Amino acid sequence: MEQGFRASMGWLHTWAGVVVGAMLFAIFWMGTLAVFDREIDRWMAPMTRIALPDRPRSFDELRATYDTAVALRSPTWTVLQATERQPYIRVAYRDKTGVVNRSFDPATGAVLPEPGTWAGSRFLYPYHYGLHLKIWNIGEWIVGFAGMAMLVLCVSGVVIHRKIFVDFFTLRARQKSQRAVLDLHTVSGVLGLPFNIAITLSGLIIFFAVYFPSGWQAVYPDKQAFNADGGSAYARPKANKPGSLGSLDAMAGEARRLWDGVEPRAILVRHPGDAAGFVTVFQSIEERIVRHAASITFDAATGAVLHRSDALRPVAVAQRFLTGLHRIQFRHWTLRFMYFALGLLGCALIMTGFLFWLEKRRKRHAAEGLHGVRLVHGLVVGATAGIVMATAGFMVINRLLPLGVTLAGYERHELEIWTFHLVWIAAFAHAWMRPRMAWVEQCRAIAALALAAMVLNGLTTGDHPLRSLAHAHLWPVAGVDVALLLLAAAAWAASRWLAASRRRSAAAVAALKEAGSHA
Amino acid sequence: MREMVLLAMIFAAEYLGCGCLALGQSRHWQAVTGTHACPPATQALLRIGGGLLLAAGLMLAVVRDGLDYGALVWVTSVSVAAIAVVATLSWPPRWLRPMTRVAVRKRG
Repeated sequence: MEQGFRASMGWLHTWAGVVVGAMLFAIFWMGTLAVFDREIDRWMAPMTRIALPDRPRSFDELRATYDTAVALRSPTWTVLQATERQPYIRVAYRDKTGVVNRSFDPATGAVLPEPGTWAGSRFLYPYHYGLHLKIWNIGEWIVGFAGMAMLVLCVSGVVIHRKIFVDFFTLRARQKSQRAVLDLHTVSGVLGLPFNIAITLSGLIIFFAVYFPSGWQAVYPDKQAFNADGGSAYARPKANKPGSLGSLDAMAGEARRLWDGVEPRAILVRHPGDAAGFVTVFQSIEERIVRHAASITFDAATGAVLHRSDALRPVAVAQRFLTGLHRIQFRHWTLRFMYFALGLLGCALIMTGFLFWLEKRRKRHAAEGLHGVRLVHGLVVGATAGIVMATAGFMVINRLLPLGVTLAGYERHELEIWTFHLVWIAAFAHAWMRPRMAWVEQCRAIAALALAAMVLNGLTTGDHPLRSLAHAHLWPVAGVDVALLLLAAAAWAASRWLAASRRRSAAAVAALKEAGSHA
Repeated sequence: MREMVLLAMIFAAEYLGCGCLALGQSRHWQAVTGTHACPPATQALLRIGGGLLLAAGLMLAVVRDGLDYGALVWVTSVSVAAIAVVATLSWPPRWLRPMTRVAVRKRG
């Protein structure tokens, strides 16, 4: 019975891993980068490399953009004050095509030029949870499916691992490659298990309202009522009569007084220009793990207090805690680096799982004339090395395209995203066409692209590492440059090692043939 | 400054703790010392010492970051420290030899 259970879990682990592994690697890789999404923003949008001033700016100064939002009939108008990780003021509203983002210098109030990139927080980070497939939330569903599969893989992996405590610290790196790859897979799996389970489970719980809509739909008439009750949010319908807007700074000041001096961080106006418009002033979400900002809502015209957010109820606190834990928007640099390191460990886990699958079958498939290994080999190279290469290519093209450039009707940020996808497709094509050299050549390409990105940043912006390390507000840029340099070095070392082991095995084959012909 | 010192202490305690737990296993003890099997009393000492060092890491993390952040820092940094021990054991295992000497001397 026990043997049968373990064997069936082994089968499940093997095939679930091969089927969703490629998707999981993309999600883990993008999630790992998203931990530093705003730092990548600074690198890719040089106009936002700004030193944060001591005092926040006036909300009322941004009134011109509010009037634009009213004219466009935008349902909302949002202002986010500058923060350490995002050192500029962001204003957002909607036009017919989607969200419009405007950026302002927090020291002078001047408009910052259009960045022309979606960079980390608008491209890499949404990729992590939605794959940029917005129709019917299909991307979120695919990621949710992969997340469920990840939990299945974690549990079945523990079941089939016979000697979990004996092998706890074991990595036989000098043994033959199949043994070493399996050890790497189990060690990274066991040591990363708490993080992987916590992060996967919390990731699924963030989207509970998408994945499990019957829960809230059974009790509430619509999403707004659910948010109002569960998240202590305020809402009222549009009056469809024109209305005015009082002083935002007066409302922010009143909120500060009611909060005993806590600084307001964001303002959201619903129904701009309508008589039923209202203004919600939020605290920062950076102070606690629980992702919930206390807020006060004012009547837009009179500035009278309409609502103060209450303390959340226990289930909501649990959901907001897990969301905060996963999304790491709180201020904590140590944890940010830990998440990054453990995210990379998760990538290594997925990759070594694939490699073990291949190593175990390579000889048998060659003998029996099966094509599975060749197909999966190409999939693995494209899904792992390929996405890293595409990311490096995304950063190189960002430093080469001039601001405001368009090509064939595509804007600059769309050209960057096209480059990412074309490089990725090329990686798959290359891996299937040249299977023997795929790893070596893609590692070399990653090394070259990462180094080129770092050098191009220094050349095009002047913020080379020697300069960026000397100025605190440029440390995000320095960090990305150092990471690119480390990536280039690691990829170069990997390509050298792979090329050497290929030469060794080729020499061994030649020696065997030689011996055979003499006999 | 205090934060950095405490972080270094957290990692040191966790690295040594994981190192002790690894040396408490015969396979790694033999790989590090080269020859003999680990005496049972030393093995017990290593396991208890390892557990205490990990607990010390948790205490330091709570002192540094409070209960909520501290617990998170501990859970994540133990994994990172354990990976460092695995790397040491698989590459130059003799680096852990001083720890075995300390363990043997403590007992004798």
